[in-house]
Amino acid sequence: MNESTEMNCAQLRDVAAELALGVLTGRERADALAHLERCEDCREHVRQLMATSEGLLGLLPASEPPAGFETRVLDRLGLAPAGPASPRAHAPQSRLARLRRRGRDNRRESASRGPRSRRLIAAAAIAVAVVGAGASGWQIGASTARPVAAPVAAAPVPLSAATFLTATRTKVGQLFVYQAKPRWIYMSVDLPDNASLPAADGMVTCQVIGADGKATSVGTFRLDGGYGAWGSPDPWSDGTVRGARLLAADGTVLATATVPVK
Amino acid sequence: MGTAGERLPDEVLLAGLGAGDAELAVAFVRRFQRIVFGVAVAVIGDPKTAEDVAQQAFEQAWKHAQVYDSRRGTVRAWLTRIAHNLAIDVVRARASLPVDPDDLPLMLTAMTDGPDNPEGVAVARDSAAQLRRALGLIPAPQARAVAMAGIYGLTARQVADAEGIPLGTAKTRIRDGMQKLRAAYLPEDVGDE
Repeated sequence: MNESTEMNCAQLRDVAAELALGVLTGRERADALAHLERCEDCREHVRQLMATSEGLLGLLPASEPPAGFETRVLDRLGLAPAGPASPRAHAPQSRLARLRRRGRDNRRESASRGPRSRRLIAAAAIAVAVVGAGASGWQIGASTARPVAAPVAAAPVPLSAATFLTATRTKVGQLFVYQAKPRWIYMSVDLPDNASLPAADGMVTCQVIGADGKATSVGTFRLDGGYGAWGSPDPWSDGTVRGARLLAADGTVLATATVPVK
Repeated sequence: MGTAGERLPDEVLLAGLGAGDAELAVAFVRRFQRIVFGVAVAVIGDPKTAEDVAQQAFEQAWKHAQVYDSRRGTVRAWLTRIAHNLAIDVVRARASLPVDPDDLPLMLTAMTDGPDNPEGVAVARDSAAQLRRALGLIPAPQARAVAMAGIYGLTARQVADAEGIPLGTAKTRIRDGMQKLRAAYLPEDVGDE
C-alpha cells in the first residue's frame, strides 16, 4: 500500500468501481490512475473489478441481428465469399429488443472501408504483427474513460503464420500455428488454375514438420477447384512445429510452409 | 471440413478474419453476431444504430485481430468489450440520457434470467452463474446503479440525476454493488479486504 499520494488507498477503493466500469472522469480519474501507478494492491483490486465488469457484459442477452447482417458485414470488410451468400433466415429478435424497440434513430456514421481482397497477402503481415503484439492490445475500444490499470508486460504471442510455397516458390496458401494451450493449426490453400500440379481437386494430406525435421501426417482434406481449408485443435502430439507441407494423394509434395523462427 | 471453421477454436477464426480468409470470416461472424448485436442493441436500443455499431465492432476485430492476446481474456470477452465501447460512445453522443429508467428492470431481468442466450456457453461457467445470481440478489438500487454505469456508461452524477438521489449515494451504490458482484464472481480472489 502507498499512502503518500494525493489519493490514498481508501479513497481509491471508494472510486475503484467507477474506474473499472469506465465512468470515472476528470480529476478523480486522473488522481486514481496516478495512485494506481504506485500501488500494486490497488491495481489488483481494480483488475478484479474490471474482470467483474467484463462478466457483467457477458450477461447481456444475445439477440438475432436483422436479416442479411452477416452479408453486410462481410461486404463491408471486402470478404464476401465468392459463392452465393447464405443469409440466415430472419429470426425474431430477443424479448428485450422487441420490448425496447423505440425507433430512436441515429445517423450512420461509419467510415466504411472499401472492399479489397486480402486473401493470401496478409500472412506475412500477421507474422510480423503477432511477434510484436504483446505490448498492445486490450484497450482497443474507442471510449475515452477506460481504465488502464495493470498493464501486462510485453511477451511474444504464440501465434505464427507462414506462407505455403510450391517448389517454384509460388504462394499458394497460408498456415497458422498456435503453439500454446490449447494448440491448434489452420491452413487455407488456393492452387492456381493453371498450375502444373496434381490434385487441384481431391484429397490432400497435411503433414507437420517438427523441430527435428520429422514430418508427421496430421490430417487430410479435400481441395475443390484448387481451394481448400482445414484446421484442427491439437493435431500433433508434442514439440514445436516448424512448418507444414501438403501432399497429393500420390505422395507428391504440393507446397511447404516454414514457420519463421522468432 | 463442412462449413469452414464451425468446429475451430475462436482464436483460429479470429486469426483467419484478420488474415482476410473469407471462409473463416464467415464462420467468425456467424459465431459471434448474436452476441455482438445483443450488446449493441441492449445499450443503444434502436436496432438500426445497433446494427451499424455491431458492424463497426466486427470491422475493429478485423483490423486489430493481430493484437488480440488470449492471455488477457477470451475472444468473446474481447469482442464484447469492443462492441460495448463503440455502443457507449454512441449513447454518450446523444443529448438525452442514454437509458430510460423504465427500461432498467427489464434489462436486469434479462441479465439475471438469461433465457434467450443460447450462445452463452461461457455463461454456464460457475463464476458467471454466480455473478448472474448475485446480480439478482443484491439490493435493487445497487443493481440499478451498477447497470446504469456498467452497461449504459452513466457517470455517478448521471446516475444520481436519473435516480433523484445525492451524488454520494449514487457513488456508494455503485461501489457496494460492484464489491458484492466481485465477491460472487471472483470468490477465490477476494480476501484481502
